[in-house]
Amino acid sequence: MGKVVEISPTTRHEGRSKLVLQVDDEGIITVGNWISVTPVRGLEKAVLGKPMEQVPKLLSRVCGICPVAHALAAVEAIETSIGVEIPADAHTLRVILHCANRLNNHALSNIFTLPDLYIPGTDRKINLFSPEEPMRSIARRIQRIREIAQGITEIAGGEAIHPTNTRIGGMYYNITSRAKQKLTDLAKEAVDIVKTQMDFMIAVLRNFQRRDWTEIGGRQIPIPRNLGYHSEGYLATDSLYGTSSRTSVQSWDPDHLREIRPWNFYMGEVTIDLEDSTYPIGGTTAAGTVVHPKREATNAIPLYNGRPVEVGPRARMALYQGFNEKGTIGQQVARQMEYMTDVHEILNRLDTLNTSGKVLTDPIPPGDGKTLAWATTEPARGTNVHFVRVREGKVADYSMIVPTTWNFPVCSKALSGAPWQLAEVIIRGYDPCVSCATHMIVLDPDKNVVAQNLIR
Amino acid sequence: MEIFTEHVNGIMIHKITIGHIHESGCTGCLAALMDNYQGIFTILDKYADLVYGLTLVDVRKIPKMDVALIEGSVCIQDKLATDEVREVRDKSSVVIAIGGCACSGNITRFDRGGQQNQPQHESFVPVSDLIDVDIFVPACAPTPEALRNVCVMTYLLLRGNDEQKALAGMYLKPLMDLARSPYGSKASFNTLMQEVINLGLCMGCGSCAAACPVRAITMEYGKPQGLRDLCVNCGACFSQCPRSFFDHELMEHHEQIMGMLKAVMQ
Amino acid sequence: MAAPLGQYKMVLFARTTDKEILRGAQNGGIVTALLSYALDTGIIDGAVVAAPSRSKPWRGKFDPWRSEPIVAMTRDQLLSARKTGYNISPNVMMIKEATRSYGLDRVGIVGVPCQIQGVRKAQLYPIGMRGVPDKIALVIGIYCMEVFPYQSIVQIVEDHGGVKMESVEKIEIGKGNFTVVTERGRTIQIPLNETRDLEQPGCHVCLDYAATLADISTGSAGSPAGWSTVFIRTKIGDEVWKRAMQAGLFETKPIGQVEPGLGAVEKLAVEKITRNKKTLEDRDFIGTKGLRNPYITT
Ligand code: SF4
Ligand code: SF4
Ligand code: SF4
Repeated sequence: MGKVVEISPTTRHEGRSKLVLQVDDEGIITVGNWISVTPVRGLEKAVLGKPMEQVPKLLSRVCGICPVAHALAAVEAIETSIGVEIPADAHTLRVILHCANRLNNHALSNIFTLPDLYIPGTDRKINLFSPEEPMRSIARRIQRIREIAQGITEIAGGEAIHPTNTRIGGMYYNITSRAKQKLTDLAKEAVDIVKTQMDFMIAVLRNFQRRDWTEIGGRQIPIPRNLGYHSEGYLATDSLYGTSSRTSVQSWDPDHLREIRPWNFYMGEVTIDLEDSTYPIGGTTAAGTVVHPKREATNAIPLYNGRPVEVGPRARMALYQGFNEKGTIGQQVARQMEYMTDVHEILNRLDTLNTSGKVLTDPIPPGDGKTLAWATTEPARGTNVHFVRVREGKVADYSMIVPTTWNFPVCSKALSGAPWQLAEVIIRGYDPCVSCATHMIVLDPDKNVVAQNLIR
Repeated sequence: MEIFTEHVNGIMIHKITIGHIHESGCTGCLAALMDNYQGIFTILDKYADLVYGLTLVDVRKIPKMDVALIEGSVCIQDKLATDEVREVRDKSSVVIAIGGCACSGNITRFDRGGQQNQPQHESFVPVSDLIDVDIFVPACAPTPEALRNVCVMTYLLLRGNDEQKALAGMYLKPLMDLARSPYGSKASFNTLMQEVINLGLCMGCGSCAAACPVRAITMEYGKPQGLRDLCVNCGACFSQCPRSFFDHELMEHHEQIMGMLKAVMQ
Repeated sequence: MAAPLGQYKMVLFARTTDKEILRGAQNGGIVTALLSYALDTGIIDGAVVAAPSRSKPWRGKFDPWRSEPIVAMTRDQLLSARKTGYNISPNVMMIKEATRSYGLDRVGIVGVPCQIQGVRKAQLYPIGMRGVPDKIALVIGIYCMEVFPYQSIVQIVEDHGGVKMESVEKIEIGKGNFTVVTERGRTIQIPLNETRDLEQPGCHVCLDYAATLADISTGSAGSPAGWSTVFIRTKIGDEVWKRAMQAGLFETKPIGQVEPGLGAVEKLAVEKITRNKKTLEDRDFIGTKGLRNPYITT
């Protein structure tokens, strides 16, 4: 007979979530439920009836670590809905912003996951807040990468957290040639640092992959070879930036999207009967506690072609570059490889930026309310889709499927087969951003694509 | 003031304990704190032990702590959240609301529920509506520098010598008063309008327009105009305005205080 | 409350030796000369200054007497920004943008005392001023009794002075008068007592005259014609001033030698502070509840 253990709350990621795990006698997960318990701020409902200019500013605040992803997906979706093209230099600034924010997030993800990993050749885990070496140098390097990334975002985007420079129709300001030079200097400095960091991370990950066990709560937990493997699919809408319903050749088809509610995916009421007070720090949930994952969950379950799909760096690399390594380690390795893409792309785009170019389209039509448009971006954690309809300058419908929403169901599946103590290591491989994930598709009153999918 | 000349490092004996509590926010406030970059290590090495903060450390139960930094507003339909803020108040000596959401609701003021999978989550209130909050650090996102200054000053208030305590008290007073004022938790462009412009206090410096994180304020013929349809209720404009609070006696020492903040972060 | 003239390391009379700057200067050309020197030597990368408005036309054309902040990154931009209209130019508005799309690391800023208060508050309480506090490299303050909203300037010049805005060559406030000089060289003086009502109300609660929080503050008060009084207040101010002196940028006179001197500056400062403290007190008795005092929080 199996038992049920709950890790609540989970740590070292954005937002609030928990794990309810059914395990066999050896403690191997047979059914994994990873659910968000972050309260639903309901921003897709909050933006209805709001002026379109405000909506990207509100939606940036879905997430403070990937604000650029939401600000950009929102402006692009709204622009698609009202039918405006933005000037080339505005687009260039947006791509620079996008890449800088990805850099920052990959570095943040390193901060969250390194404490699970070992200094190669030792049995010492990596505590980034320790003043000892080599920890301190690693931590300083990561912070320097973040500083460069946030510095670039601040100049190109107005603010490092919640960009202020993006607006419907383009950008508020182009940057001066002096600012462009500064961005180039920063990005050039980053080239070597991120290369070092990428090599370091991959070495540490490969080292973990070769280990037989990892220490958790004073015990040696065996690391399965297939840690985090799943047999679901991948989704990515672009290798770098994103796309929209305006493009003629589409990289994905929203028609294949279907969303089910947690009720149909997670466990019903269960009583916790496995408790481990040694699980760091503070132990797992007390035995006898009754939990109800399908009712408590605040996330949605989007399916693509009827199945959960993984989004993120590995999905992008699998679909666009033939990367084929599976599991948590493969996923982490892919993430590190994107570091270089981002820095080089910033440099390439800076090369083409004309600092005296126009960055705002004129005029900006108010939208006829006929088109339900969508736009995607491909931020650090994967495909971010925003759907919108704009009527007379106001938002009539809004919905979003953000990266971690996609990843909740696929990651829940990927937990099976691992010792329960490694469940958090697996979820951290997805670099979860849980506050974002509490967003759901809305019913579209005019019953087009999205609505049909929901009704089906 | 003696304290400026004294080497501040000499008296750093006991660190304070500090925690980060995430309510209905976006983690942007925590990101802002982390955007002190190398300064984070100075703070953790010398002044504060991070004892709680799900995003960064593995501690799963709220411990007793000297200073709690709360980010995000509180959903009153979520018992987990309302219980949690109460627990934080009970277990901390100083509660600091960081960011617009925690101080004045920010974007969550616009929430009205109706969204799956918990459509009943419709009411979000600033932390100080539910528990006593000691200090406000408004804005969305709050700035790394403001968070750093408030952390250092709170440290001095709790662990400093008499003169340092006096300075920290003076520095923090307006942010403490804001936390208890009738308008602090209701902040929006309207607050700037009602408490500054409408009272004949505005002198057209433009600080508010620079501070606004959504470009909701433009200066029209030298005076701020608020596009209230853009305002997200973060409270930055009002707090930044020299006519919301301004202690001449403290500000006169701007050079020494800036110097001290630099020195303690070395 | 602190001394009316604030803390300072040194006070003197000065005027620039830069002929081009002095020619168009209202007094000793201190501000433009200092900023231009600071730009040349890399002390600053740019400066926020008030310039004639280029963004919104007034009566169908740009009015040189309406001020608006710009981020000046060259000497030419500084020179073209010199006319001061004595109306509100919200300079602090640009300090953050200067560090963003303009890409400045070392920002200079010029302002009247209340604006300098805004700058210092941005440094000590950077609530919405990420990245600004450490990038403020040079703060130059200008003495100020009060300023006028732009529309008041129009009323004073056109109603009280009977001159069209279009024909104004120079506007000056000082020695109790609002002085307008026309293109044809006619000078009209309007006593400031007559224009008090038209001043910006926010100025009447301002408790600083001599820009006591600036690195260097300057103005014509107390100085002989063509010269300025200059206060060197902070370490930064001191360093910049010394370097500028070494570079031969200014001629100076010790303040003790020449009348009216420091006493005149102090007199004006005391007059402003006393009058405005009274205004603050009077505000307590407006209605039965009184109006909020921005300097006392509870
Ligand atoms: S104040 Fe802004 S940065 Fe902080 S949690 Fe709220 S939305 Fe995020
Ligand atoms: S910051 Fe205050 S005084 Fe300055 S322009 Fe804005 S409202 Fe007026
Ligand atoms: S106007 Fe801007 S700064 Fe003021 S409260 Fe609104 S969003 Fe915040």
